[in-house]
Amino acid sequence: MIRNYFRFLAVAALLALAVALLACGGSEEPAESAASSAAASPTAASDSAASTAASPTESAQPTTPAAASVPTVAAMAPGTVDSCAPSADLTFDDRPAQGGTLVRLFADPPTLDPHLAGDAISSEIINEVYGGLVTLSLDYQPVLDLAESCKISDDGLVYTFVLRENAKFQDGKPVTAHDVKWSIERAADPATVSTTAENYLGDIVGVEDKLAGDASDVRGVRVIDDRTVEFTIDAPKSFFLAKLSYPTAYVLDSEQVENNQDWLDQPNGTGPFRLATYDIGELILLERNGLYHLGPPHIESVQMILSGGSAMIMYENDEIHLTGVGVDDLPRILDPNDPLNPELHRSPQDFDVFYVGLNTAEPPFEDPKVRQALNYAVDLQSIADNVYDGRLSPARGVIPRGFPSYTENLRSYEYNPDLARELLQQSTYADALASGDFPRITLTISGSFGAAVPQYLEVMLEQWRSLGIEVEIQQTEWATFLEEVNEKQYHMFTLGWIADYPDPENFLDLLFHSESNNNHTNYSNPEVDRLLEEARIERDRERRFEIYNQVEQMILDDAPWVWTWFSGEGYALIKPEVSDYFLLQMSIPKYRYIYFNQ
Amino acid sequence: MGAYAIKRLIWLPFLLIIVTFVTFALLRFGPGDPVQLWLGQHQNDEVRERIRDQLGLDDPVHVQYVRYMAGVITRLDFGESFRYRGQPVRELIGKRILVSLQLNAAAIIITLGIGIPVGLLAALRQGTGWDNLIVAIALALQSLPVFITAPVLLLVFALKVDILPTHGFEGFFSPHIVMPAVVMGVPGIAIVVRLVRASVLDVLGQDYIRTARAKGLGETTVRYRHILRNALIPVATSFGFILAGLVGGTFIVETYFGIPGVGLLTVESVIGSRDYPVIMAFAIISTTLFVVANLVVDLMYPWLDPRIRLGAGYAA
Repeated sequence: MIRNYFRFLAVAALLALAVALLACGGSEEPAESAASSAAASPTAASDSAASTAASPTESAQPTTPAAASVPTVAAMAPGTVDSCAPSADLTFDDRPAQGGTLVRLFADPPTLDPHLAGDAISSEIINEVYGGLVTLSLDYQPVLDLAESCKISDDGLVYTFVLRENAKFQDGKPVTAHDVKWSIERAADPATVSTTAENYLGDIVGVEDKLAGDASDVRGVRVIDDRTVEFTIDAPKSFFLAKLSYPTAYVLDSEQVENNQDWLDQPNGTGPFRLATYDIGELILLERNGLYHLGPPHIESVQMILSGGSAMIMYENDEIHLTGVGVDDLPRILDPNDPLNPELHRSPQDFDVFYVGLNTAEPPFEDPKVRQALNYAVDLQSIADNVYDGRLSPARGVIPRGFPSYTENLRSYEYNPDLARELLQQSTYADALASGDFPRITLTISGSFGAAVPQYLEVMLEQWRSLGIEVEIQQTEWATFLEEVNEKQYHMFTLGWIADYPDPENFLDLLFHSESNNNHTNYSNPEVDRLLEEARIERDRERRFEIYNQVEQMILDDAPWVWTWFSGEGYALIKPEVSDYFLLQMSIPKYRYIYFNQ
Repeated sequence: MGAYAIKRLIWLPFLLIIVTFVTFALLRFGPGDPVQLWLGQHQNDEVRERIRDQLGLDDPVHVQYVRYMAGVITRLDFGESFRYRGQPVRELIGKRILVSLQLNAAAIIITLGIGIPVGLLAALRQGTGWDNLIVAIALALQSLPVFITAPVLLLVFALKVDILPTHGFEGFFSPHIVMPAVVMGVPGIAIVVRLVRASVLDVLGQDYIRTARAKGLGETTVRYRHILRNALIPVATSFGFILAGLVGGTFIVETYFGIPGVGLLTVESVIGSRDYPVIMAFAIISTTLFVVANLVVDLMYPWLDPRIRLGAGYAA
C-alpha cells in the first residue's frame, strides 16, 4: 500500500516539475494544476511552480514596493540615440557592493550549455552566468548587453553591433567580435546538437546551411574589426533582436570551449555571476563577477539547494530566503494576523495561454459556426470563480496580459448558451445534431498514469453536452502526446503555449500561420497569413502591434481554439531583509539587483 | 557453499542480458521520442531527424543494444543522459546511489531492529493485552502515509523543537539521516512484526522446541537459539525483496528531506523524459542488486536452519 502512495505522489509531484521544466516549450496544463500538484510535492523549485492565486476580491494584499515595482525602460537611462535598442541599465542604483548570500531551493538544470538549453530551469542559471549581445530589460524589452550600440541598415537586413570596451569574460579576457561569430557558428554546428539553433538563429543568413552541414561557417555573421560584428538576416524581421536575447545566441569563450573538454564545470561566461560550484543533485553556488560590465551584483553569492526539501519548513526555519507558496499554505498566510503575511508577495502570471485546439480540417470543426458555438457555450468566469477560487483567469485572447502588443480591446467569447444554440442551428450540422448523427468528438489530453482530468474540462464537457454535443476524453502520456499532436492527428486536444521571447510573433505567427509547424489545428486563413507576413517585416512598432491586434481579432472570430486560461497570479514569500528580488514573467538576469537590508 | 555461490553468480550475466535486452527493446519500440521531448512543442522534423541520426537512434535495435552494452562492459560507460544533456550516466548515478543505499540501510536497521524483537515479544505474550497492543500500534504506524509522517516530523523536530536538520545528507552517522530513515523504516515494522509473530507461534508448537526444553536448556537459549533463529527464515526470504524494492522507492522521502539520492532521478528518467541511458543503468543496477540480495538470503538459510543444505539440487 505504501508503495502505491509513493507512486501516486511521485506522479503528482512530477507533473508539477514537468510543467516547470517545459516552461519554454509550452505546457500541458495551466499553472493552477501545477499549483495543486506542487502542493503535494514538497519542493517548490521555481517561483511559479508553486504559484497560485487567491480570488480577485482579495487582491488588496500587502506587497512591499521593493519586490512589486519593477523599473521600466522608460525610467532608465536612454541608450545611444541612433541605436536599435537602449543599453541595459547601468545605473540601476548606486548602492555599494555588499556581502551576503542569497539561499534558495532550485532544481538541477538539464544543461548549463547555453547553446543546448531550451527550458526555463537551465535558462535561469545560464542567464546569470553568461550573456550575449542583447538581453531583456525588467519590462521585457530587448536591450543591449555586451554591445554598446547597434545599427540597423535602411533595408532592415543588416545589424551592426559594437561591443562595449569593458565587455570581458569572467577571467578578464575582453570579448571580441571573433568570439561572437565563433559562438553563433558553434550553436549552428550540427555537432553541437542544439535543439534551439533553428528557432532562435534561423533568421541569420547561412545558419540553415551550417545546420544542414553544407557550410563551414555562417556567412551572415561578419567580423568587421575586433569590436564590431555584423549580422545579416533573411528578411527585415523586427523580432530578430528579441530572439538574440535567448541563450542560444550567447557568447562563449572560444579558447576555453575548444581547449578544455570540461569547460562546463567552470564556464568562462560574461554574466553577473560566476559558476563557482556545481554538485549535481546537491548545490549550485554562484559568485559575484566583479568585472561585470553592467555593474557587479550587490550580493556576494547565490546558493541554490538542488536536493529538494520542504520549502515552507525551510523558509520558516530561516534556511532559505524565498519560496513559492502552495495552495495548502496560502489561506493561512493570507490571514493578516499570520506572522508570515507581511512577507507575502504576488508574483505576476506567466506569459502563457491555454486552450482546447480544434482540428479545423476535420468534421465538425471545419465549420466555424460549430467552433464559435463551443466557445460561447463555456462559462469560464464561473468555472474560475467556483472551481478554482479565481486562481485562473479566463483567456480573452491569444496574447497574455502584460505581453508586448497585449490589448484589452478584443471581442472575445462571453458565456451565451442561447447564441451557441443559434449558431449550431445555422451551421451545416444543424440536421445532424437533430437526428443524432453529429460527428463523434474525441478530446485528447496529456497526463501520465491516470492523472485526474482537470476539473474545468469536466465542466466544459457538461456545458457542451447541454448543446447536444458529446465529447469523449482520451488521455495520453506527454511524450506520446507531443509526437501525435505534432502530426496534427488529434481531433480536439488541450495544450498551452509559453512565450519563448517577448514578441507577439512568438504566439500569433508560430501558432496560426498556415505554414507554421506549430499550427496544430490545421488553421488556415489567407488574410491572416498575409497580415502575419506583413507584421514580420513592419518596422514601426506601433503599426506592427496594430496588425497583430487585428490578426488576433480575426483568429478569435475564426475560433480554431476554445479559449480557456491565462495562468493565474502566484504568491511568493520573500524574507524582509531581501530587497529588489523581482518576480518576473520571463527568465532575465535578476540576482544582480538584490540587496540585503541591514 | 562457495561452489554454490559461484554457480549462482554464473547465472547473473545471462539474467542481465535478458533483462537489459527486454528493457532496451521495450524502450525503443515504445511510443515517445526523447528528441521530440527536447524540442518540446517546437516541431521541426528536419531538426528532429538530424538529431536522431546523430544519436544513432535510427539504427536497428540490436545494433544500438550491442553498442550500448559494449560500452557498459568494456568501459563501465553507461552512456550520456538524454535529460541532463552531456552528463555521463555513471557520474549522474554514482554518488546518488551511495546516498540512497545508506539511507535504505538505516531504514532496514530500524525496520528489523524494532520489528524482530517486538514480533518475538508479541508471540511470546500471545493472546495478552501486550500482543493486541503491539499488533494495533504496528498496524497504525503502517497505515500512516509518508505525506503525513514526513511533514509532521519536520514540523515538530526541525521547526518547533529544532533538534534535527530540515534537509540535506551528510553521511550515515549524521543527524540528517534520522527523520528520513524513521519515515522509511517505520511502516515496514508492522510487516516484520506480523511475520515474526506468526512464525514464532508456528515454531513454538514444533517438537524440537519441546525436546530442547525437555533436555533442560535454559529459557534464554531456547528462545534465541531455537525459536528466534528458526522463526527468522520467512523474514529472511522477504528481506531480499524489501532490499531490492527500496532502491527505487525513496523518491518522496528524498524530496521531503532534501536528500540527494537516486529517487528523483529514477522517476524523472521514466516519466516525461525517455532518458534511455539512465533507465538502462537502473535496470542493470537493480537486477544485480536483486540477484545478489537474494543470493545473500539463500546463503543465510543454512545458518538459520541447519536442516537446509544448499546446492543439493545442483549436485545431482
